[in-house]
Amino acid sequence: MSQNTTGCPPEIINNGTINKDRRDFLKTAALVGGSAVVTGVPLVAYFTAPALSKGTGKWVDFGSMEDLEPGRVSMLSYEFLVKDGWLVLPQRGIVWAKTGEGDKLTVFSSVCTHLSCNVIWQEETQVFECPCHAGKFDVNGRPISGPPKRPLIVLEHKIEDGKLLTLLTL
Amino acid sequence: MNNINRKRSEKLLEQLALNGIIAWLRGLEVHRDGLTWNRFSGSLALVLVVLLFLSGAFMTFYYSPAPGAAYDSVDYALFSVPFGEMIRGVHSYAWNILLVLMGLHLSRAFICGAYKAPRQLVWVSGVFVMLVVPAFIITGDLLPWDQKGYWSTHVRTGIISSVPLIGDFLVRLLQGGPLTGIVTLTRFYVLHVIFLPIVLVILIIVHFHFLYQRGISAPLSGDDAVREKVPFLPNLVNRWLVLFLLVTLTLGLIAWIWPAPLGNPADPTDTSYLPKPEWWVLFLNKLVAIFTGSLMVIATVIIPGALVGLIIALPFLDRSPERHPTRRKKMMLVAAIIAAVLMGLSIMGYIEHFGTPHP
Repeated sequence: MSQNTTGCPPEIINNGTINKDRRDFLKTAALVGGSAVVTGVPLVAYFTAPALSKGTGKWVDFGSMEDLEPGRVSMLSYEFLVKDGWLVLPQRGIVWAKTGEGDKLTVFSSVCTHLSCNVIWQEETQVFECPCHAGKFDVNGRPISGPPKRPLIVLEHKIEDGKLLTLLTL
Repeated sequence: MNNINRKRSEKLLEQLALNGIIAWLRGLEVHRDGLTWNRFSGSLALVLVVLLFLSGAFMTFYYSPAPGAAYDSVDYALFSVPFGEMIRGVHSYAWNILLVLMGLHLSRAFICGAYKAPRQLVWVSGVFVMLVVPAFIITGDLLPWDQKGYWSTHVRTGIISSVPLIGDFLVRLLQGGPLTGIVTLTRFYVLHVIFLPIVLVILIIVHFHFLYQRGISAPLSGDDAVREKVPFLPNLVNRWLVLFLLVTLTLGLIAWIWPAPLGNPADPTDTSYLPKPEWWVLFLNKLVAIFTGSLMVIATVIIPGALVGLIIALPFLDRSPERHPTRRKKMMLVAAIIAAVLMGLSIMGYIEHFGTPHP
């Protein structure tokens, strides 16, 4: 018989009322479990924290509406400061603005709905083309050929004092 | 004289309290029929892992995990540090060769039926070792912060985000936020140099545990009953060391002549950059181009998941004791079809991405 750590009189252990192996196992298991919880909760929270915060929208100024040629698709580039963890960095990118008759304006995200490459407007063929897998979208952002099945994302926009503001989510 | 020396060394070992471990090491035995020239893939893989650990650990001396600085630090290590190109080149070639080699290792174990009882868990643990390697590649590719690494990561996170329900969360978890920036780079770096190596070492130990306990599979022509054993020390250890020397010299020479290329610094606004998939994911890229939209999950989760599941479950699905490939024609045929499909998809992917120039 090894050392009696159960705190019970030896006769109870010896007559089989108490299963010493089981007690020892449960004790160690409880300690392991406790240690795992005590360390695991803060560590997992520490690691996952940035994944839980939702992206915030930002109204980005794309300049005067008069710069847009009516009836055409224009590339608008943006640059604004974004907080990336502990850094504040300029975030650059492009959107596509389509102007129709009158005040009609649609702003498309340049992100291909297949694998997030940047789509490029082709003036000659009048399609948005994705260079990665040759996906094509028509002038209204609807997929017409290649792998993409969902239309280009239309970004929310508003016009204030003749300036085009677009809501970008990051 | 010899006797006195022996006594001295034994005394020293005892003083260092190493005598028990040395006695244990001396007692380890391996099958002699495993030590032939044509059974090298496992030993070679081990050698490559050691080389990857060595070159990787030393590259961290000149690495700064921040966008911009990362590229400059890699560039500096390449061109301003002695052996810089060689060490990075060895690291780069070693993982490419390791991937090929693990394919060979798996194929050999399959063809020779090495996964059969009592070695089922040798196979399963080995498959788990292989599954860690892509995680190393995905996290490692981003570290130089060049165009290729940045945009490949972009495509990969796009693929991960297609996983239903948890995809977006997974991407945010990996990136540490909504964009590929400094938090992402730090995460990838720490995963690459601390967490994944720990996982890999544990899995390799588990693989070796099963391998040692159940023994390496006998040659197909051999008689299972009488198999001679030789001491692990020095027979297998010397073999590993010879391989290590040869591989290090060869890869060092190759890396010296053809250094691993470093592209241009990552530019998130460069819309013209075309990320080209690496050879080992070409089949997956083709699948992603075939199954699109709501079907994409077939290409990104269902097919790869089913394939991995099938490989892991193989020893429990195929329980017949027959090991010889000519008497396992059905198995060979199924495997050949799967291999041919993967190869075909890879070739199609290659043609799509490298064959025809996009407008």
